[in-house]
Amino acid sequence: MAVDETARALGLSVDQKAADAMALVPSLVTFDHDAAADRMALEALCDWCVRFSPAVAIDGTDGLFLDISGTDHLWGGEGEMLVDLVARLARWGVPARAAIADTPGAAWALARYGDDLAIAAPDQQRTAIEGLPVAALRLEDAAEAQLPRLGLHRVGQLFALPRAQLAKRFGLATTLRLDQALGMAAEALTFRRPASPWFDRLAFFEPISAPDDLARVAGDALALICQRLEAEGRGAKRFEVVFHRLDGQAYPVRAGLARLGRDAGRLTKLIVPKLDKVDPGFGIEVVTVHAWAVEPLAAAQDRLDAQAGTSLDETLAPLVDRLVNRLGENRVWRADPYESHVPERSVIRNAPLDPPAAARWDPDRPRPVRLFKRPEAITAIAKLPDDPPMQFTWRGRPHRVRRAEGPERIGQEWWRAGVGEEDTGPGKIRDYYRVEDDVGGRFWIYRQGLFGEAEAPKWWIHGLFS
Amino acid sequence: MAGSREARLAALRGQIAAIEAGTRTPTPVLPFGDPAIDGCFPGGGLPLGGWHEVTGAGLEAETSAAPAAFVGLLLRPLVKTGAIVWVARRSDLFAPGLFGLGFPADRLIQVRTRDEAETLSVLEDALSTQGVVAAVGEAEAPDLTAGRRLQLACEKRGGFGVVLHRRPYGGRAGAGRAVSGSASFSRWRIGPTPTPPPADDIGLGPPRWRVELERCRGGRAGAWILEQQEAGHGPHPFRLVSQLADHDVAPTEPGLRLVG
Repeated sequence: MAVDETARALGLSVDQKAADAMALVPSLVTFDHDAAADRMALEALCDWCVRFSPAVAIDGTDGLFLDISGTDHLWGGEGEMLVDLVARLARWGVPARAAIADTPGAAWALARYGDDLAIAAPDQQRTAIEGLPVAALRLEDAAEAQLPRLGLHRVGQLFALPRAQLAKRFGLATTLRLDQALGMAAEALTFRRPASPWFDRLAFFEPISAPDDLARVAGDALALICQRLEAEGRGAKRFEVVFHRLDGQAYPVRAGLARLGRDAGRLTKLIVPKLDKVDPGFGIEVVTVHAWAVEPLAAAQDRLDAQAGTSLDETLAPLVDRLVNRLGENRVWRADPYESHVPERSVIRNAPLDPPAAARWDPDRPRPVRLFKRPEAITAIAKLPDDPPMQFTWRGRPHRVRRAEGPERIGQEWWRAGVGEEDTGPGKIRDYYRVEDDVGGRFWIYRQGLFGEAEAPKWWIHGLFS
Repeated sequence: MAGSREARLAALRGQIAAIEAGTRTPTPVLPFGDPAIDGCFPGGGLPLGGWHEVTGAGLEAETSAAPAAFVGLLLRPLVKTGAIVWVARRSDLFAPGLFGLGFPADRLIQVRTRDEAETLSVLEDALSTQGVVAAVGEAEAPDLTAGRRLQLACEKRGGFGVVLHRRPYGGRAGAGRAVSGSASFSRWRIGPTPTPPPADDIGLGPPRWRVELERCRGGRAGAWILEQQEAGHGPHPFRLVSQLADHDVAPTEPGLRLVG
């Protein structure tokens, strides 16, 4: 059972039974616990906290860890940052307690059992948490219940005990938690997004909302990160600009590059057309920018003159970027050969600027210029069972076959995962013929199945040559 | 009097040509390699800084196989100098088929768009990009404004633009045919044509097309039967089989020939 502020004022508490609470306050309104909604709300809060630090981890059902190493100076200190965080949360009716410490364990303890907005001085975890109850150590239930019975109420009392006996009596987890709180054991946090140093932030004195301003600040933010990338001789392939609205909504806008880049002007051009999806509402107060897929990039590359001496890829990259960012990654491709004789699998789609594939299509196996996604059924008349048809009807129009070439027999790839017994039997063998009709149109048709089997073979058209 | 009139007309034509050309040097052209065809164009070939319309005959208006093969072959000499962008709403263009025509597919960028307007704007974007030597768009006839924009994009970098007229799947026959982009340099109509048996009488010979040049700015119209030239045989992708003064299609030979 959880209670809100009003209920607490009426004398209700978390451990009460619902029936008792109803007796105390007959007009009580109760809701069932919705764990999924809680989780979603916490995730939304987690995403919002990115404005304070890129490294945010969800803790249990009701907590967040923010790794603020190196970001507190943006607020003018840890204290100011903490006050700002809690004040903003309070403004939206999210009651929260927060604390800052060297270790996640100590911060967890201080936020829940210490003074509100406590800040443990660097290397002073021991003094900061020694006065807290043992429950602040995130112990297992059994240990947490057992310790007070033995008169061990405060964390500080545990420091004095011999570790070996502590571990033996209350489990290894107890000493581990103690060490984690004091920074003697490492603790891994699962950040919602991978921590990356390629993060920058731009805050505004006055919230902005005009489209031109959004475009300008996107450019400014990208320029910030691109400067850093250039200074370190790196480039990135994916960029994300996040617009944080006054009410906590965040609008991410992404741009991808086909090759490593750090040209803020070009990135801005890719971002700006997507800004219409950003609804500024009452105003944008913070813009954050991230770079991913950061790799070393030689400085000479962007000094080359665009007019001469550049390779084809260099001049094509901006076009590919524009198209990919506008249409989506799966709509721009280069068709590369793939080692398969099944026609629809002989092509693999690669990014246009990837290094070319080593495989080649077989020039002796003619393939149509247009290949249908799914073959269309035709009715065909053949003189002999194994002959190409003399006539076939496709889309209601009869075609008399003048010449034919074939067959080319293509079976299914039985060795491939997902191809079952029923896909590879004699009924699935295709005999392809290249036929020309009396006006010269060339078709790629096939007969599926063999004569003499239980199922009569069927004719299909799979593509057109000319 | 008549002579001076002719001379004045010639002088005026020269002035107009000079105005049209502006300060540009004469654009490079893509020749067919046969004087019977190249003579129809003012510059001895299709100019690179312009765009051309290619339509199909009959059923081809929707499937657009013969026009696609024709365009693939036409662009074969260009592919050495840069990338080729092929923009379409459908993704039934099969790269191994183009490869079979001698067109190296590793310089081909395929783009799938969502609608007609997007096709044209991507085409425009591609044509005005350095490094793109030609761009093909499968669309219905673009209107005059779109055609003019394409022309400007082509002129920017000397790109070779092709609009492959293609009806959307299941679209009405004849719809959209009414508008013809007169901003295009030329308009072609491509259809298949029966091929004679190959020399060894096995299988199918090289493909042939019935190619009609319906309109050409500053040139003459014409109709020919062209055959694919194998990649090793000279720089030009087509071989002229016969000139069609009228409807003298190559003699048809009925009868099915079998290949074992």
